[in-house]
Order: sequence, then C-alpha cells, then structure tokens
Amino acid sequence: MQDIKKVIVKVPQAYLDFINQIFEIEKKANNLKEENSIQRNINKMKGIMEEEFFKGSSTIGLTYHNPLGEDYTDTRTDCEATISGTGVENLEIVEVIKPIIYYSYLDSDKVMKVIVQPAVVIVQSKNS
Amino acid sequence: MENTINFGIDLGTTNSAIAKFIKGEVIIFSNPQDYGRNTLPSVVSYKKDKIIVGNKAKEFLEKDPKSVVGVFKRKMGTAESFKIKSINESKTPIELSAQVLKELKTFVNTGDNLDAVVITIPASFDTIQSNATKEAGIQAGFKQVVLLQEPIAASLAYANMKKEREMNDGQWLVYDLGGGTFDVALIQIKHGEMKVLDHEGDNFLGGADFDQMIVEKFVIPKISEEYNFINLEDEMKSASGKLNAKYYVLLRRAEEAKIILSSKTSAEIVVDGFEDEDGNEVDMEITITRSEFNELIKSNIDGTIEMIKQILTRNSLKPSDLQFNLMVGGSTYIPYVRSRVEEVLQIPVNCEIDPTTAVAVGAAYYAATKPKEIGKGTGVKPTTAISIKTSYNKASKEKDELFSARVTGKTEGLSYRITRQDGGFDSGLKKLTERISEDLPLVDGAFNFFSFVVYDSQNNIVETDIEPIGINSGFGISGQPIPEDICLEVDDYDNPGKTRLKPIFFKNSILPLRSQAISFPLNKGLIEGNDDDFIYINVLEGSHLALPEANKVIGFMKIRGTQIKRDIAKGSDIEITISISESRDIIISVYLNMADQEFKQTFNPKERHTPVEFLKEQVEELSEKLDLEIEEASEKEDFETASALSKLKKEMESVSEETESLTSDDVTDKRYQLEDKKRKIAQEIDSATKNKRIQQVKAHYFETKDECEKMLDENGNDHERKTFNDIVAQESAFFSTNSPLKIQEKSDELYSIISRIRWRTPEFLVGIFKWCRDNQTRMNDQAQAKSLVDAGVFAIESRNWERLAEINSGLLNLLPRGAEKEATTRIGFGL
Repeated sequence: MQDIKKVIVKVPQAYLDFINQIFEIEKKANNLKEENSIQRNINKMKGIMEEEFFKGSSTIGLTYHNPLGEDYTDTRTDCEATISGTGVENLEIVEVIKPIIYYSYLDSDKVMKVIVQPAVVIVQSKNS
Repeated sequence: MENTINFGIDLGTTNSAIAKFIKGEVIIFSNPQDYGRNTLPSVVSYKKDKIIVGNKAKEFLEKDPKSVVGVFKRKMGTAESFKIKSINESKTPIELSAQVLKELKTFVNTGDNLDAVVITIPASFDTIQSNATKEAGIQAGFKQVVLLQEPIAASLAYANMKKEREMNDGQWLVYDLGGGTFDVALIQIKHGEMKVLDHEGDNFLGGADFDQMIVEKFVIPKISEEYNFINLEDEMKSASGKLNAKYYVLLRRAEEAKIILSSKTSAEIVVDGFEDEDGNEVDMEITITRSEFNELIKSNIDGTIEMIKQILTRNSLKPSDLQFNLMVGGSTYIPYVRSRVEEVLQIPVNCEIDPTTAVAVGAAYYAATKPKEIGKGTGVKPTTAISIKTSYNKASKEKDELFSARVTGKTEGLSYRITRQDGGFDSGLKKLTERISEDLPLVDGAFNFFSFVVYDSQNNIVETDIEPIGINSGFGISGQPIPEDICLEVDDYDNPGKTRLKPIFFKNSILPLRSQAISFPLNKGLIEGNDDDFIYINVLEGSHLALPEANKVIGFMKIRGTQIKRDIAKGSDIEITISISESRDIIISVYLNMADQEFKQTFNPKERHTPVEFLKEQVEELSEKLDLEIEEASEKEDFETASALSKLKKEMESVSEETESLTSDDVTDKRYQLEDKKRKIAQEIDSATKNKRIQQVKAHYFETKDECEKMLDENGNDHERKTFNDIVAQESAFFSTNSPLKIQEKSDELYSIISRIRWRTPEFLVGIFKWCRDNQTRMNDQAQAKSLVDAGVFAIESRNWERLAEINSGLLNLLPRGAEKEATTRIGFGL
C-alpha cells in the first residue's frame, strides 16, 4: 500500500481573516439592488490573493469557495455545519458564515489544493 | 519495542485527545480530519452502513439524537444503554467509549503499534466506572490500560513543564472548566505521592452556555430595541421558527466574540441578513464589552467558587494553605474566570499550561513512567491478505466520480474508510465487503487524491495492495491544450518606447481559460470625444520570450476618445481580462477605472482580426527597427549580424510597399498574408539579434552579481546570502534557456538583494537623507518635512540607522510625483 503525502499547511491567520472579509463584502455586494461594479474590485482582490500572495514560490495562492445552496452530508469535512430546523435528511447549506479556503500549489506540475479553512455553515433540511 | 507505555489519552466528556512521550517531550497528535486541531469531540454517530466519530457526528447530535450519542461518559459504569434507531441496536457507554478510543488511534502517525495506553478518568469516578473505562480500552484493542485521574494528569503536565518531577509536599486545586462540564479537585502531594483529596463538579456548565447567554441575554434584546419583532426569541430558538438558522449564526458569532474578548476589551457581533415584521432589513453591529460579558457569566463563575469553598470547608483548609489553583479547560482562557476566582478565593491562579491539552499531556508523561507489561510477540500487527482492485475514471469534469472496488480475501470484521487528501471528504468507517462503490466528491480544477484504508475491528490498519486513488478534476477529459503562449503586449519600462510580451496563459494550459484582471497605469491620457486619442489592446499568440512583432495577433481592440464617458488621466488604471472558451473564442474585456466603463469584444480565430491601419503601423515600426539594428550591428562591427539583417531588408521593403497600398476596407486575404510575412521577418530579426541581446543581459547580470557579492561580503545577512547562492546555483539553467527576459529577471532578483542591503547601510542612508534635505523646499508638506529632517539629523547623531531608514521613506513620500524616481536614479538604487 502506498501512502499519500499528507500536506499540512499553516497560512497566517491574518490572510484568512482578510479573505473572510472579502467574502463578506462579496455577499453584501450581491445583495445590493442598485447596479454597481463592486464585483470587479472583489475579483481583483481575489486575483491578488490567488496570484500575488506567494509569488516566487511553488505555491499558486489562496482561493475560496462559497458552498451556499449545495447539498450537505456528514461526509463533507470541508464544512463545519450547524443544523437548523427540524429534519436531518436531504440537507442543504442555507447560510455561509465563512467560506472554504483552499491553498493551491504545484506538485510535479499538478495543481493540488489543501483546505486551510473549512467553511462554517448553517444547514437545513429541504423537506422542512 | 519501547519498554514504557508512552501513550496517554484524555477520554473527555465532550472532547478527547491523544499524546505521546518521545525522548523527553510530549507531542499531541492532531486530528487528521479537523485541520490540525488536537481534539476529537466524544460523539459517535451510527448509520446503516457506517460509523462516524467526532465533529461530523457532533453536528448531528442535537437534531438526530436517535442515531447520534454524546456525553455518554456520564453513564459509564451504569446499566444504561443507548438505543440506536438507525441500526436497531443498543450501545453501552463502554462500546461508545471504545469507538472514541479507536478513532483516536487513527490520529497516530508515528507508525507505532498501540497496545498499551494510559487513559484519564474524572476524579469522581468510582471503581465500577473506572473498570468500565478500562474495559472500553480493551475493546478498542489495547492489551494494557492504566488509568489516571484527570486533575493528577493536569498537575503532572504542570510539574513536567516546570521540570520539577519531585514536587514539594503541599496542596493545590485543579480548576477544570471546559466546553460543557466543570470539575474542581483538591490535590495533595505528600512524601512524593500525589493524590486527589476531594472534588466537586457541575456536569452542565461550560463555554457553550456562555455563548448562549450572549445571544439570549444580550444580542436578542438589542435587536428587539432597534427593530419590530413580535416574538424574536421564540422565532429564533424554536426548531420550527422562521429565524432558527439565524439563531445558530448568532451563536457562532457570539463564540467568536467571546474568544476575542479574551484578548481585547470589546468585540463586535454583526447581525444581518433578515427582516423585521415591518419588512425593514436588520443590519446592525452590536458591541459587547468585556465588562458586559463578565456581568453575564458572573453568577455561573460565582457558582464554581461556591463549590471550591465547600471543598475548603470540608477539608478544614484556609485559602493560604493552598499553593495555587491550576487552570485547565478551554473556558479558563476567559480573563474574568481567572481574575474572579483569584479575587474571591485569594488563592493565586496558575495559567502556565495549555488548558486544552494539559490532561492528555500529563497522561503521556505518566505513561512514560509505566513499564509495558505485555509479552513480546503480542504487539504484532494483525496481517490479513487483502487485495483490492479498483476502477474509476482518472480524470473527470463531474462534481462526483463513481469509484468501485473489488476486494478479495477475508473481509469479515474489517472496515474501510476513504478520505480526500485536502481534508474535505471522509466516508466514515464502513463495513468492508467484496464489492464497494462510492461517490467521491471532487475539488474543481485540482488533482484529487483519496486514500483508501482498511482497518480491523480495533482500528489497527490492515495492509493491502491498493494504490492511492488519483482523479484529475476540471481538465484532462475534453479540455484541449493551447499550442502556444497567449500574451498581452505591454510597455517595456526598461526600454522606454518599446513593448514586450506579458504572458497571460502558458502553452499547454487547458481550455477554457480565464485570466485574472491584469491592471496597470495608462501611459497616456484619453480626452473624451477626441477621435485621435486611443488605446490599443493587442493579444498575441506565440512564445512570450519572443519580440511582440514576431507573434500572431489573435485579438486586437482599440478604444477611442469618442467611446468614453469622461477624460481619462495618464496614470489611471486600466484592467484587462482575457478569456478563451473551449471553442477558442477569445474575449477581451477592458475596464477603465476612472470612467467606470467596460469594453468587451469577442474574437473568433477563424475570422482573423487584422485591421489594416494597425498592420501599417506595425510594418512601419518593424521597418524602422530593422534599419536601427543594421546600423547598430555595423557600428559594432558585428558583420555577421549586419549581413543577416541586410538580407531581410529587401523583403521588408516589399512588405512595406504592399501594405501601404492596401485600402482600409480591403476584402481580400492580402492583409493576412502581409501580416504573416511581417511576422516572419520579425522572427528572423529576433533570432539574428538574440545573441546581441543575450550578451547584453549577461554582461549586465555579471556586473550586478559582482556588485551583489561585494555588498554581501560587507553587510549581507544569512538569508540574503542564501537567496544569492540559490540564484547563482541556477545560473547554468537560466543561461541555457537563451532567453534575454529570463536572464534579466535574475539580474533583477540580484538587484533587489542589493537594494535591501543598501537600505541598511549607514553611508547610503545618510546619502539619501542629504539628497532629501537638499530638496526639502520641494516637499509637499513643509511642516512635516522639517520635523522629519530634524528627526533625521538626530538619528544620524545617535547612529539610529533603522530610524533613519524610516525617516527617508517618509521624506521620499513627501516629494512631488516623479521626483521620487529622480532621487532613485540619481542616487542609484531601485526602490
């Protein structure tokens, strides 16, 4: 049996805090009814953290994913969930407090990702 | 084989942990499924086909109590058992504890065979309860189980931290306030023997209660003051209430605020994302101060103090009889807990050990003193001949990929578990059968590795022949690679007036592709309404190391003054995003920050896009460049290059003539043919002059290297020397690329080392300071300039070079735009 190399990454908490703020801004911008170009600045910031934070190393950068609306089961260790409502079957992510943050790096030319922050989410049964 | 037990387990009511004593130190194993956390929630979930222990089980504890069990430690040693509906079986607290212990075994990554362990128990456990814990250890596969009381374990952790194995005779308290339970114990050491004299506790008090109090007694009343709700608390707390999800959001935020309040005097709790009865959007930031929080938890903390007083009374002790009160458990991080307990009891609190892991650490120290009593040979890993043949797609664009396996060998009593390498998926422990199929969720755009591990009934790993499961997501199936680099033509600041290529996508990247927004300041302004003012955006295909003219234009955009809403100043930002679809459509999107305007155009490579006027301009430029190169080569008596270039001259002239005669609405293929010819000439110029450019950059590289070496000898630090050596070690590699750009890049890296050292060198700093002082009258803020100059004089007198560096930066910032550059070029450093 071959072992899979377990990569443990410690990203400075300040980077994660910073990304969580970008995520919050993105959430708020999406709720605005008036037309705006805030998303453009958000994409720019995402680009910086994806490409510039670790420039010059084999690290690609940090990206985040908002799992809102996705199905939730107990195999999803990429999220820390709290179940609201009454049922526990057919769960769906209804609130995302923090997104999943990935750290991407190159290993023998393959893009690899490691979760450095699991999402913090609230889930609810679709049946309720 | 090690002679002592060495492994210690804190089998807690809410959380458990495992640690090992190795060569004088204790290491705590982290939870492989929980991003480096050291603890495992003591919760077990049973499903028809699997068992889950820890975090995922805990999530379902409250809402699915028929399948998930927690806090079973309180029932240890009783005849009570837990009916599990999903499997239609009952489980005893011993069996449940054994599951937690087995899960903890999977934390151990040192390759040890875990056959002996020290497990901690509360001071309140009687013989039956203690034996039940021992039995759980045996069921989990340990051959030898030694028990140790939790407060003793915490005290041992403290004693070992202090390196005082032989502590003086005396008494102290261990105050253990965790997430859900509180225990306090009176410990005595007499003639070298440590024992628990008395204890008290509350099984329903901990940090989770404090979070709840913040929400219910502080946040909900504040929301009700500002907004109109008929029964906010019920709507939030009732499982069928419409704001139930928000209640859990608030609990999370309250917990964060509580943690912040341990280090800061106030914290914010954001409440948003729902509407009140009148349809008003709730959006508020509630500040909670440390004193407000303290007030909320005061009565609970005072309750714990009362318990301590009872212990003191029962044992006829005065506070002064006790050496200290050792703080254990995560909630003792709260400053008020520490200060209030100390203030009321007048017993000094001791917060020197990590309160969350102290018990496991102490257990491991104790384990290091206990000899193993298992005969040799019993610790052999069970071996089972299991062979697994797998089948799955090695590349997929789906969100999940079906994995199936065929298992041969004796599968009875064995389980398997599949986990994803990034930590995002865990199948749980499932029964191993001859045929297995599982949907594996994939992370998009990355290589997904899964491990498939087989365990025996005691969670010992069983060797199999399975290889790691690797699935490439997002590409590799239908995605095609691009044949050449895709580049954007940008200004070359090192060679004013010239352009260079900035790679956007590299050769062999897989379609579809989308770049991040590339932004840079405009090198010229645009006047609104002026048709003569324009910006070119030129996207090319071909090696990014080549000259722009040598590559094929695949997308070209022109933004004119007539298209913009307002004047655009030189220096304002332009953002360009390029994407290529699977069918090779190239979409260029240009955004002008100052005008908040976006321009988008799609190019289809099937229809080549070669505007005649742009072609004319390029041909003209290339022709001038050719003349210049011939002249330069002749001057330098490089006859070989001059002759190679002269041969191209004739061809160039014919292309120039033909291009000149094209009309702007020419409908023939002529423009494309001419463009190809132009490109060919440019490629030939490129290769003919490459040697010259390589020599120039090499010479520059060696000059920079010499200078850098000299500076390193005089003032460099180890880190800078390492960076320098790393660059030099790659010399042959980047020289062999024959790319002037690559070599230039390395010169730039060396130059940045030089700059860093210079910024620490007194002579250099003084030089800059003097230059700034001479230019003081030009500075934007005269008062600030004066105070900085005065501070600079003082810094020089007191030889405070760090301060002088700061002052210099401040002064340079005060210079008018452009003057800063003047300073850098005059004094000769690159900022």
